[in-house]
Amino acid sequence: MGSADEFIKLRCVSKEYATASALRGIDMVVEKGQWVSVVGPSGSGKSTLLNIMSGLDNPTSGQVVIDSTDITAMKEDEMARFRREKIGFVFQQSHLIPYLNAVENVMLAQYFHSIADEREAADSLERVGMGHRIDHKPSQLSGGEQQRICIARALINSPQILLADEPTGNLDRENTRKILELLNRLYSERQFTIILVTHDPFVAQWGRRTITMEDGKIIRDEYR
Amino acid sequence: MKVLSRFEIRRFLFFFARSVSQRKGRVVIASLSVMLAVAMVTALAGINSGIREKLGAELKAYGANIIVSPRNGDSIEAAALDKIRGIQHVEDASGQVLGKVFIGGYAIELIGLNIDRLKYSGWRFIGDRPAKRNEVLAGIDLRDALRLAPGKTLSLESNGGKADFIVSGFVEKGGPEDSSIIMSIEDAWELTGTNNVFSAILVRGEPGKLDGIARDIVRDVPAVAAKTLRQVASAEESLLSKMQLLMTLVTLIALFASTVSVASTVSANVFERKKEIGLMKALGGSRSQITLFYTTEAVIIGLSGGLSGFIAGYLSAQAISRGAFGSFIHLPQWMILLSLAMGLSIALTASHFPVRGAMRYDAAAILRGE
Ligand SMILES: Nc1ncnc2c1ncn2[C@@H]1O[C@H](COP(=O)(O)OP(=O)(O)OP(=O)(O)O)[C@@H](O)[C@H]1O
Ligand SMILES: [Mg+2]
Repeated sequence: MGSADEFIKLRCVSKEYATASALRGIDMVVEKGQWVSVVGPSGSGKSTLLNIMSGLDNPTSGQVVIDSTDITAMKEDEMARFRREKIGFVFQQSHLIPYLNAVENVMLAQYFHSIADEREAADSLERVGMGHRIDHKPSQLSGGEQQRICIARALINSPQILLADEPTGNLDRENTRKILELLNRLYSERQFTIILVTHDPFVAQWGRRTITMEDGKIIRDEYR
Repeated sequence: MKVLSRFEIRRFLFFFARSVSQRKGRVVIASLSVMLAVAMVTALAGINSGIREKLGAELKAYGANIIVSPRNGDSIEAAALDKIRGIQHVEDASGQVLGKVFIGGYAIELIGLNIDRLKYSGWRFIGDRPAKRNEVLAGIDLRDALRLAPGKTLSLESNGGKADFIVSGFVEKGGPEDSSIIMSIEDAWELTGTNNVFSAILVRGEPGKLDGIARDIVRDVPAVAAKTLRQVASAEESLLSKMQLLMTLVTLIALFASTVSVASTVSANVFERKKEIGLMKALGGSRSQITLFYTTEAVIIGLSGGLSGFIAGYLSAQAISRGAFGSFIHLPQWMILLSLAMGLSIALTASHFPVRGAMRYDAAAILRGE
């Protein structure tokens, strides 16, 4: 186990694309159990930062250490294992598999992790308030309901880190508030680490810490 | 790849079934194109083996391995038969009379042979074999054409005159015999007005000594030629080799076309599922966990295409061979395994590259909705 105050540590992380520099020398440390909001204008590198932390994307240079493990040095399959054990994702688009119903979508994450357990998956939907929708297909659900299922799916394997990229980006204020209350309740129950990217100051204020990015750099890092 | 427990296999099959039921159409198309290629190969192999079996069939059907024919003129003195029987390593020999008879003005092939000695290998009998003089066998095609039934009297006419015969039964062999009249040598001599001559003598010699026997026959019996089964077969085979080359070419083209078509189906599949693959990666699916879905699909396409291709190929080879060569096909049993293996390798080869490519998609970009 790594030290709790350096649970996630980025050292001089840069990401260059052929046409743009998405990240320019990011240094940051996140404590275990922190809720961090990442804000900044479009194109400032927020999504890139998240994808690099999850290993879905590789930095051009620099180092990402999570729970004392240097994930930038990992091979593909180690990376996949790391991801399924430690990380849960929520995206702006719900990215549910259209031909699976709610509970089956959650079970797919269990399947990759260990063993798909329908009861446990149904319980997790109950906890996000979707117990009455377990056999609905994504197309039969509202945007807010889909995001609840994504949250249940992201947390089904008890990850230590939840990475959320504009999870309420497609929702109205009322649904946004409901999703954040849900996240907050689960967060206080389980104490995982949240890194949440958003444009919306209302969403950002739910975290205790707000990192502001601009042009691939961190320009502000504030605690509330 | 980690070993799947029985429970995980059940779950895998569950997700797999859901995913495949989404693209039944594509899976069916892909296995159809595998089926076409396998059917083509199976049919060609079947026809090929059918033709091969016919090589030297004339001899084999009588249990003989050397054929003695007149070198000039069209008959061999009957005395030659005893001489040949006396040659070392000859186990058996019998004469044959070939001729023509007329039934109501139509010319029909006549085969006179030693009914007792006839080796009935490869012959199918319906009814009885002739037991006494003036009983004959009719080929199956002749039976159908003349609507014959056992016991029916046939009036046959030839150089020797005209006589009535009783049909004792029918033969089916998949050769010219099927449209011939078959009778004892004595009856044949009488009907054709000849005596004590043969059109050919069929010899069964000790295997391995055939070349020596053939040389001895030519030395001891005047004015005959002797050919061993291998010589007969290889003469026929040289005619075949050109046809086989063509068949091989067609087969290769069919295999190639089918692989390309399966590959494009799988590529389209994988491309449509880009988002799904990216999501599976984000959920922590390993390469083997994710590709297992697509590989299993390929295995199913390959096996179903292979099996149905085998059946279709076998049936069409049977039909073609009946029609064109008048013979049955006996495909070796391993041919079904070969068909399955062929189907599998087409499908796996075709899906290898698209699936490998799919794993290279940039999951981050896909999930961002680009
Ligand atoms: N695959 C890529 N190829 C080239 N450039 C890219 C790629 N992905 C991102 N970029 C560029 O990198 C920069 C940062 O992109 P990123 O998606 O991280 O921004 P963001 O802060 O998430 O923006 P938004 O708020 O609009 O989601 C942008 O200039 C973008 O154009
Ligand atoms: Mg973004």
